[in-house]
Amino acid sequence: MPNGSWKIARGKGGAQLPLAIVAVLAVVLVLIGKAQSSLFDRARAEFSDWSAPLLETVSAPVGAVSRWVDGIGGLFSTYQDNLRLKQENARLRQWQGAAIRLEAELTRERALLHAVPDPAQTSVAARVIGHSVHPFIDTMILDAGKDDGIKTGEAVVDPRGLIGRVFITGHHTAWVILLTDLNSRIPVMIAPGNAQAILAGDNTPEPYLETVSETGKVHPGDPVVTSGEGGLLPPGLPVGVLVADGTRYRVALLADAASSGEVRIVGFKNPPEQLPQVTPADLPASPLPLQPQPQPPAQLPAQSQPAAVPGSKPSPSPAPSGPH
Amino acid sequence: MDRLFPLLGRAMAGATPFFCGVVAVALASVPVSLLGGQIPPPLLALMPVYFWCLVRPDLMPPAIAFIIGILQDLFSGGPPGVWAASFVAAYALVDRQRDSFAGLSGVGAILGFAVAMLVASATAYVIVAIYYAGFPPVGPLVMQISLSVLCYVPAAFLLGWLQHHVVGPLRSDF
Repeated sequence: MPNGSWKIARGKGGAQLPLAIVAVLAVVLVLIGKAQSSLFDRARAEFSDWSAPLLETVSAPVGAVSRWVDGIGGLFSTYQDNLRLKQENARLRQWQGAAIRLEAELTRERALLHAVPDPAQTSVAARVIGHSVHPFIDTMILDAGKDDGIKTGEAVVDPRGLIGRVFITGHHTAWVILLTDLNSRIPVMIAPGNAQAILAGDNTPEPYLETVSETGKVHPGDPVVTSGEGGLLPPGLPVGVLVADGTRYRVALLADAASSGEVRIVGFKNPPEQLPQVTPADLPASPLPLQPQPQPPAQLPAQSQPAAVPGSKPSPSPAPSGPH
Repeated sequence: MDRLFPLLGRAMAGATPFFCGVVAVALASVPVSLLGGQIPPPLLALMPVYFWCLVRPDLMPPAIAFIIGILQDLFSGGPPGVWAASFVAAYALVDRQRDSFAGLSGVGAILGFAVAMLVASATAYVIVAIYYAGFPPVGPLVMQISLSVLCYVPAAFLLGWLQHHVVGPLRSDF
């Protein structure tokens, strides 16, 4: 072992003063990071743009070895995999027929109801060049950025479901905060009862539901999709399945960020809501006259009238209260 | 020319610990998962910091440990300064207790790294807890500590080989 067998440079460190300086620098860095997080985010975006080739270079041989090892393991399960895939294929063909029928029905119903079409979605495919799984952080680096039309906040999905959302964009790279990250909060909907909830990450493989609306009952096994609340993410993206965990619910994610080599970044723009034109009949009172009101002539105290309500039509003179 | 090669060799040997730290940080960010992403990867970057802080502190000054920590922060995507401060804390411990650590060998050397890893992780945990005003789960941290200590066994041999065959012959000025 190194400690015992190597000649140790006792007393040659002389690092007391530099150590104190870097300790102070570290504390200052933490404080600046807390106060000005955007500053560090910009630096991180620049850094990831610059270091993307290094990451790709390091990833290539490690990824090749990993695929090779996975391939060897897969050789022993080829027959079982083949059987499973055939069954899955037959089941998916049935679902395909049902999906085509339902899509046609949906299109017809929408045409009949003159329904507003869903907002258009665009997507960009990107490769995962970095994946940081730390005790407090769960992020990913993609090889596409601003120059490819990616914007902060956009949803990132793999073929199975939502993985996370973009939180920093560089020119050629983007950082993704995964659903499992400590800071991730996503508005979701639990499908059968349309109960709204917030999906919160806690750095465990299954994020939990932070708040659940009381509009509908939820049960383990219910599918969870994005709700689209707040206009941040497109609605209806599959997220996972509800799992009971003691007194609260967790979500078993459909997507597998660990094995996702390529992902899709879904661009989504909610069209601004068009409010109906307001007509004078809709107003509770008549509109203000634009001309300045003439000063009423000075009146005798005996004939004083109540002050006119601003914006109201001049009321006719009150009728004499008694016979003359 | 006779003076150039030794100078280049010395520069290369001097840069090797830092270069090992950079490679360790990059390796930890490679998108290859351990056991389906259930276990965080080992904190590889702390290994060269600990090793050279103990064996050749002149080649691993606090500033280099700090810079490796900043790189770890940048590559991890987390709050800035967490790993930089953690590496400095671990460095301070090893630097102050060098005589105790230097006497360790075999399993003791692994335990020495485990103590440094524990200090770094505890520092990171406290900073993150203050940063987010809440306590993150301890489970992943414990798994990372365990895995890092296990991985230090082969890493120590590799770093020892580098010290013996690359750094030592080129920087035998001590």
